[in-house]
Formats: sequence, structure tokens, C-alpha cells
Amino acid sequence: MENMQAVNNFVAAYLKKKGFKEAEQLLEDLQNKESAPIDFHNDPELAKFIHRFSQSEDDVARYQDGYSKLRSWTYSSLDLYKHELLRVLYPVFIHSFMDMVAKGHLQEARTFFNNFREDHELMHSRDLQKLEGVLSQSHLEEMEFARSLRQSKVNIKICQYSYDLLLQYLHKTQSTAMLGVINEHINFQVSSGQPSSISDDAEVVTLIGSCQDTANQINQKEIHWGLLEDSLEERLEKAGGLLSDSEKTEEENKEGDVDETKKRSVESGKQGASTKKLKKEKALNATAKSARPEASTTPAAPRVKAKLPLPLMSTEVEQSILEDLRNRVQLSSVLLPSVSFYTFLNTHNGLNCSSISHDGSLVAGGFSDSSLKVWDMAKLGQQGGSSILQAENDSTSSEHVVGPNGGKRSYTLFQGHSGPVHSATFSPLGDFILSSSADTTIRLWSTKLNANLVCYKGHNYPVWDVQFSPVGHYFASASHDRTARIWSMDRIQPLRIMAGHLSDVDCVQWHANCNYIATGSSDKTVRLWDVQNGECVRIFIGHRSMILSLAMSPDGRYMASGDEDGMIMMWDISSGRCITPLMGHTSCVWTVAFSCEGSLLASGSADCTVKLWDVTTSAKVPRNEEKSGNPNRLRLLKTLATKSTPVYSLQFSRRNLLFAAGALSKNL
Amino acid sequence: MSIVAKETIEVIAQSIGINNLSDDAALSLAPDVEYRMREIMQEAIKCMRHSRRTILTTDDVDGALNLRNVEPVYGFTSGGPLQFKRAIGHRDLFYIDDRDVDLKEVIEAPLPKAPLDTGVACHWLAIEGVQPAIPENAPVGVIAAPSNGNTYEQKDELPVDIKLPVKHVLSRELQLYFDKISELTLRKSDSALFKEALVSLATDSGLHPLVPYFTFFVADEVSRGLNDYSLLFALMRVVWSLLQNPHIHIEPYLHQLMPSVVTCLVSKKLGNRIADNHWELRDFTAKLVALICKRFGHVYNTLQTRLTKTLLNALLDPKRALTQHYGAIQGLAALGPNVVRLLILPNLEPYLRLLEPELLLEKQKNEMKRYEAWRVYGALLRAAGQGIYERLKIFPPLPSPPGHTIWKSKEKVVTAVPNKRKASMEPLEDEPALKKIATDGPIGSSASVTTLASSGENDAGQPSSSEKKTGNRVGKDGQKLKKSAILNQIWKDDLNSGHTLVTLLELLGEGILSFIPSPEMSLFL
Repeated sequence: MENMQAVNNFVAAYLKKKGFKEAEQLLEDLQNKESAPIDFHNDPELAKFIHRFSQSEDDVARYQDGYSKLRSWTYSSLDLYKHELLRVLYPVFIHSFMDMVAKGHLQEARTFFNNFREDHELMHSRDLQKLEGVLSQSHLEEMEFARSLRQSKVNIKICQYSYDLLLQYLHKTQSTAMLGVINEHINFQVSSGQPSSISDDAEVVTLIGSCQDTANQINQKEIHWGLLEDSLEERLEKAGGLLSDSEKTEEENKEGDVDETKKRSVESGKQGASTKKLKKEKALNATAKSARPEASTTPAAPRVKAKLPLPLMSTEVEQSILEDLRNRVQLSSVLLPSVSFYTFLNTHNGLNCSSISHDGSLVAGGFSDSSLKVWDMAKLGQQGGSSILQAENDSTSSEHVVGPNGGKRSYTLFQGHSGPVHSATFSPLGDFILSSSADTTIRLWSTKLNANLVCYKGHNYPVWDVQFSPVGHYFASASHDRTARIWSMDRIQPLRIMAGHLSDVDCVQWHANCNYIATGSSDKTVRLWDVQNGECVRIFIGHRSMILSLAMSPDGRYMASGDEDGMIMMWDISSGRCITPLMGHTSCVWTVAFSCEGSLLASGSADCTVKLWDVTTSAKVPRNEEKSGNPNRLRLLKTLATKSTPVYSLQFSRRNLLFAAGALSKNL
Repeated sequence: MSIVAKETIEVIAQSIGINNLSDDAALSLAPDVEYRMREIMQEAIKCMRHSRRTILTTDDVDGALNLRNVEPVYGFTSGGPLQFKRAIGHRDLFYIDDRDVDLKEVIEAPLPKAPLDTGVACHWLAIEGVQPAIPENAPVGVIAAPSNGNTYEQKDELPVDIKLPVKHVLSRELQLYFDKISELTLRKSDSALFKEALVSLATDSGLHPLVPYFTFFVADEVSRGLNDYSLLFALMRVVWSLLQNPHIHIEPYLHQLMPSVVTCLVSKKLGNRIADNHWELRDFTAKLVALICKRFGHVYNTLQTRLTKTLLNALLDPKRALTQHYGAIQGLAALGPNVVRLLILPNLEPYLRLLEPELLLEKQKNEMKRYEAWRVYGALLRAAGQGIYERLKIFPPLPSPPGHTIWKSKEKVVTAVPNKRKASMEPLEDEPALKKIATDGPIGSSASVTTLASSGENDAGQPSSSEKKTGNRVGKDGQKLKKSAILNQIWKDDLNSGHTLVTLLELLGEGILSFIPSPEMSLFL
């Protein structure tokens, strides 16, 4: 009721000032007569009216003054409501600033901005950097970010009491400027009851291009996150069910070992310590076997039909993959993976990206000099091995002195791009590589023929990321032109174009069942798109800066995304909510990867570490305790520091050996 | 208003040939320029991120300009950072030092070495989650690891999951290594194998996980084996080797290591047999202590203070044994001339008074004790001498001393001369302590002895009182006592005469002459 009074006084004062005597009289009469209070919150006309009133007072100092008062009031408010009220400050701040700029008081706007920017630096540094440059009305018009900010409303969840407190304050102090801003740009979602807890993610002011409701609507859409029917894993499980007796598995195990011995010896030649590794692997296998029954008790993920026609797999390949799956090490929080690290040397700051094939035998690096180089680690290992042998019996013959890498390069050079290569990806079987470049093209290379096969043109701006689908044949690309596109290897035109992001699409990742792709963008959102119809089916809001990396869990339930600040977020795909933020990295998270059975998450960062996170303990529990509002259950299991190598890419092999790659940088 | 000043716009306008840019135009251009610049920088940051870098380079800016369809800025693609120079006469005007390159020079210059080609190296970052201790991996922070996780949990204000004390997993290889080393140290410390082991300790990478075990081992063995001289020496050698190892971060364990090291320096009794040359052990340990202080003194600024305090307490406590005093003096001396000057010299006089009875035959009948006293004396002399030597070296251009000091020093020289001659004439084999002094003393100055003597005799017609005393004592006690008496006398005299540099020199008497570089000495003569 007091609020009402304040508003009435307000209006009366306005009318008096403008000399509308009759209207004033009328209003007074009305007030006296009418017993029912005017619901001014929900009366858009009145709100507009008040807003105009504040605008008519063309005094910029009001903003400065009003904001600083509001700020000190907020900071001195009760702790219980403080954090809720603090959320209001940021939108008020940026909109006050933009209003001041729009009115042409540039000098004042700038001092105002510099005075208070520190308060918001922690949460919104990136936005502030953008806004800082706004120096004239035309900039406001031109800058998409500012324009969309000014056109949209910010949603803020707030409890009833905090809301009342705020309004009361605003009315009491007559800070019409602030009231105007709040009215125009903030959409309060008033909830009854207790104020939400602090840990409840502080409202992120993220633009999504449409109002919040549509975003919510989008997130209501149905998603079939289950795995594909008749996948190899499923077949393996069935097979395992048939061979129930232990003898059979043992036999299988032996077989696997023999096969593994061959493979390993090739692979570990580069290490020159094959026996050691072999032992380790065997030990791992033993534990894995024992752990398997437990793992299989977890309810199997639902199966879905593939919406895309899938490529056929040859039986040989199928066999080898099945073999790999059978020999997979069951990782868990107690059994951590072995990590093999590929360090790029002498890159002269030119390495833009790296990629590792699924079996770890091929490593590709994309360079800023437009080249793509591929190393065959198995060959490299042999060379290393032979050179060691040389060293041992160097006196035997002189011809060995000219080593195998004396004049020849140790890698295969792929040239064709005309701009820095920003991403490379291996096909699941390792016979193709795709690379994307700043020259707006994507190129397909064959590792067998060592030649360029196709050049895909379609994007209009640099292509930041390209990813093969888990079944091969299809691939997705992400570009500065704000679209993600789906391609198939046999067509030079894209099959689908996903448009909707408000800024660059920085990374892209396929869902395990190939029916969806996820894209991360500089607009700080992650979106999930349906491959079949190109629709956006989920918007994940929560990151505070540009998203650099994405990973999908193998069971299709979860997604992890890493951003520029070092934050990793785990998302539940079906609900579109963040399960838990993972904090620990201090710099850009270049890459994230789930282990093959989804129990571990590995992340690699510019702070020269690989971190391993526990997924099982965290992700399973929250289903029951979703309401308790306790987000940080994902545990950091291990931090593996490299000497001075930022980690560019991570890849779990089918047998759960983790490969990591990065360029040694001395001066970082 | 904007970061870009109006003047900047004007300068740029001039550089492209617009001379009559109006003020208003410049003023309204400035904010726009800033806006564009920021825009480009934001795009450049995007390019930087997509090149997986955290440092912005000129390439990124070029990339950003490309994105905006703007022609890139040429001439900034060189690898090195740009060298800005300040324009003379302007406070905040900078330019890039861009010299004209003579093409002929470039053509004639030999080809630069081709940069190394890119390669890939492979190593195990972790095996089953454990990082192997190989040179390719960063040294493992054994202690630091757990604190990390806790802080995060605290920060998030969530149910803290309490971590159990970290179990330190040691690989089998390291366990074997440790067992081998400790066995060698305990049993076969004189074998050649032990020497190899020491080298391995000093050079191998990947020993870091063993450091806590070694520190504990050393501390434990020192406390138990104070009677075993060779064991102690071996242990100190182990410590020395560990300190040499560049791959080990021994700092966190210093506090455990220091007590045992200091014990080996100032313990009353080290080894139980007379044959044990515990003096040598003390000397070695003193060097060790000095090394530690030098290396970690800047990290732990209390380290040296605490150490010197301990040593000084040992030195100034008359109840402590002479062996302890010896160790303390050696330790202090090893810490450098400044420590000597600040801590030993002021205490020299009272200490010598204390020491004197021990040196004399008639007062100290125990041969062993006397020998120890002489040892202490020798150490003291050397410490002081080194201190003064360093000091003289630091200030080579001495102000020409006033006349009376010259005279005074001459007098001292005179008093010293006869005794020195006697010392050099004396067959010294029977008195090791004296030998030490003698070798310390005359060798350096033997060349000047004759001149010294002659000048002394010519100059000093009147024999000083100390000389007379010497004469008296010669008959009674024999050479060494005479010498000591004289020295003591001199020191006493000079301690009274103040603490200037010159008196410091005098204070230490003839024994110190050897430590004085000849130019300075000639100055005094």
C-alpha cells in the first residue's frame, strides 16, 4: 500500500510539474474514490509512463547517483537477501551505461563505467570488454551485442520479499532513473517463499536471441538420447551373455593378449620399454575382467533408431573393434588410465590444433602456415628403436650412421589450405583426416594415399572446428559465420545448416547416437541440434565466457563443455540443466574427453595440466537429489602436470588408454 | 574522452596527407577509432583462442583484420617482440626502431641456420594414474598435492569431503634404490660403489619422491650413530649430494635436515676413537652449512639468523667442550666474512681470555685438551684472517692511513718478527697445532719476512714490553707458549685500540699477515 502511495505521489508531482492541473485534479479524485489499488507492476502503460517521466528528466547525473545509491543499499542489505539483490545490479549497470551513451553523455558514461566496472569484472569481464568500446550512439546501433541487450529483457529470479524490498527502496529514494531501467530491462520472476541459496547458480545474463520463454520451450522438446540400436557394444554384451562360463572368457582373454602383444609391441616400440608396458596392460586386463560384472549391472541406456542412413562396416573392421572392446580396461575412480603424451617440438608457436586417431597410432597437427602434418607414431617408434640399436652396435657397420631420419622428414606433409589450419579430425578408422582452415574450406585427406581427396566449400568465414561423426562418413563443421553445418563425405554441399547462435560457433561435437550435434559458441551458450531437421533442441546456458571444447558421454546422457576461464560444466542432456560446474583449471580448457565407458572425464588446459574427474559418483547421484541444490559432486581425481606443455587434445583409445597432445612452449 | 587522443588522429591524418583536418572531425573520429580498435582486438582474441594460444600475436591481429575484410597491417610479422623507442624530446611518444636494411648486406650475409623441423616426442604422462618420475614429466609435488583439492572445496562452501592423509605411493624401483643407498651408507661408505651412489644422488632426476625418506634416514641415523665417525661422514656426503641434485626440491625438507647437519658440526663428540678425524668432518659439515645458507638463504630468510644464533650460542657458552667451539667457529667462518666480522670479532677478546689457559701447558695438563685448544685457536685465526682478507680485497684503495697508525702497525710488526723467525726456525713436526699456524702464517709472508725484520730492527730502537715478556717466557714454556702469549698480548692491545679497519688488521697480529694481499701490506709498511 505504501508503494501505491509513492506511485501516486509520483504521478501527482509529474502532473503538477507539467502543469496538467485538470489531470491532477482528476487523479486525486480517482484516488479518493477508487479503493482497489492499481497493480502497477503488471500495468505496462503505467510502467511506461513512469519510465518516460524518468527520461524527461534529462539529467545524467541521476544515473550515476542513483546507481551508486542502489549499490550501497544493496551491499548493506541483509545477507539473506543480498545475493538476490546483487543480481539486479549488473543489468542495471549495463543499461544505465548504455542509456547514458544513447543520450549522448559520453564523458559521464565513461566515468560511470570505470567507476563501477570492478564490481562486475569477475563475472562478466568479457561483456564489459565489449561494452567498454561503445562510445557513441551509432556504436550502440551497430554493435549487435549492445543492440540485442537493449532490445531484450533480462530474467531475474527473486523471492517475494526481496522484490518488495527493492521496490520499496526505489520508491522511497525517488530514484526514477533506476526504476526506469529496471522497468524496461528486467523481467522479475517473483517466487514466493525463501530466497534461493547462493550456490544456486547466480543468474547469468546471457543472450539467447529470443526471450527466455522460447528458450524454455526449446528445452521442453523431446530428446532421444539413447544409444543406437544394434551397436557393437550391444552385440558384445549379448555375446558376453552367451559365453557365461569363465573358461570362455579366459580363452578370450588369452587370445586378446596375444593379439595385444603384437599391437603393443608395435606401439610401444617408440617407448623402448615394451615389456614393462605389456605387463601393465595385462594387469589392467585382469582387473578389468573382475570389474566387468559390476559394470554390467547398471541399467542399459535406452536404444534408439538411427535417423541417418549409416555406413556399413566391413566385418574385419568390426572384428578388430570388437576385440578392442573386449580388451577394454574398465576405468574407475580407483583405476585411473595410463596417459601417453605426444609433445610437439619446435613448433615455433605455429601449432593451432592437434588430433589423435582412435588407436593413437596417428597424430596430426594443424599449423598456422596452412600445413597439416601427420606423424605415424608406430613408424616413429621403429625409427627410434632402430636408432637405439644403432647406438648399441654402432661399430658394426658404417652405413647405419646415416640414420633413417637423416635427410627425410619424420612426418607426412599435407599442403592445400591457404590459411591457418584450425582443426583436424580423424575418421573413426583412421583412414581419413578432415582439416578446417581460415580459408573457409574443409579438406578431406586420405592417410593411405597421402593426398587431398575433396575440398568442401560452403562456409563464408574461417571454419573453426570440424568433427567426424562416431560412425564416420558424416561430419560437422563450425564457423565464424555463426553456423554449424552437417556434411557427408560424398557431397560437396552441406546437408544441413544450423543457424541460431549469436556469435561464432567455436566447437562442435557429435552425440553418441549421431542424431544430434552440440555446438559451443562465443555467445556463451551450448546448443544441441537435431541432425535430421536442423532444429535447435536444447540451449544450455551457464558459461561465462567463450566455449572452447565439448564432449559427449558414451552413454549419450551427459555432455561436458569447457570454456575460456577454465570452467568445465557437466550437462544433463535430457533436462538441459547443468549438473555440476567443475572448477580447477586456471586457464582455457582446450579439450575434454570422456573415457569409453563414461566413468571418467579428462580435461586438458592451457595451464599445462591434464585433470581427471570422476563422473560416476557425481552424475548418478544427482538424479535423486536434484532438488537439494548441491552442485559440486564431481570430484577431481587427479591432476597430471606436464612440464611446460599446454594440452591441445585428448583422446581415449577404444581400450581406454588416454592419449594427449600438446606443443612444448618454453616461453609461456 | 576516449583512449585515442585527438592529437593521435591529427598525426595519422598528416601521415596520410590530410593537413587541414578540423578539430571537430578529429574529436568525433577519436571515439570511433577506439571502438574499431577494440572490435578488432576482440576478434583477434578469438583468433588467438583458435590458435590455442594465450598470448596475443601480430598474426592474430592480421587474422582479425582478415575477418573484417580489412587489409592487414604489413610489416609486423617478425617473430620477435617489437622494440619501441622513445622519441627524444617527447615524454610519451614512441616509435618502432625500423632501420633501413641494405639489400646488399642481406644478400651477402651467410644464410641463417634453418630452424629445427617440427617433431613429435612421446612419453608416459601417467601410468595407471601415477606419474612416472622421468625427466619429461614435471617434478612431482609430493607435499603440495592435497592442499589443492581442499581449497576448492572450501571455496565452494559445499559439504567438504575430508581427505584422508595422503598415502605416499613409492614405486618398487625407488624402494630398491633407497634400500641400496641406505645400505651402502651404513655399511660400505668407503667403497667405490658408494662414490658412484653419491654421483647418482647428485645427478639423477626422478629421485624427488625419495627426498622425505632420505631426510628421515639421515636424521634418524645421525641421532643414533653419533659414535660412528665414518657413518656420520657418509651421511653428510649423502646430504651434500642431495643438495647438488638439480631435479630435487629439497626446500620443504630443510627443517628436518638442518638439525642433523648442525649436530655433525657442533656435537660434543663425533666418533669414539681417537683416530677418528672428526675435525675433518666438522670442516666438511661447515662447508655444507654454508652451501645450504647460500642456496636457500633467500627463500628462508630466517635460516641464516637461526643458524648463526645456534652457532654463536655454542661458541659463547664456556661450559661447552672445545670441540663444539671449533665446530661453531668453522660454521660461522664458512658463512662468510661478514658473519665473521659481525659475530666472531667482537667476541674475540673475551673468548681468547677463556681459551688462553687451555693453551698453556702449565695450566692444562691434559694433552688431548690442549691439542683441542690449539685446534680451536687455529680455526679462530683462520676465520678472522679470512674475514680480514675478504675485507681488504673489497676495499683495495685504502685511504692513506694517518701517520700514527703506520707507526703503530710497524711496532706490531716488530713485535711479531722475532717470534716469527723462531717459529720458522722451529722444527714443527711434534706440534701439529703449531704447524697449522705456522703453515697458515709464514708461507704467505715469508717473502717479506726479511724486509720486515730489517725494517723492524732499524726502526724500533726501543723493544716493546711484549717483547720483554716474550723473552721471559721463552725460558719457561718453550716456543709455542711464547708465541701464543705474544699473540694474545697483541690482540689484547689492539682490541683496546678500537674497531677501525686498520685496527682490525692489527688486532689479528702476525698470523693474519698472510691473509693480507701484498699491495695493502706494503701500504702499511
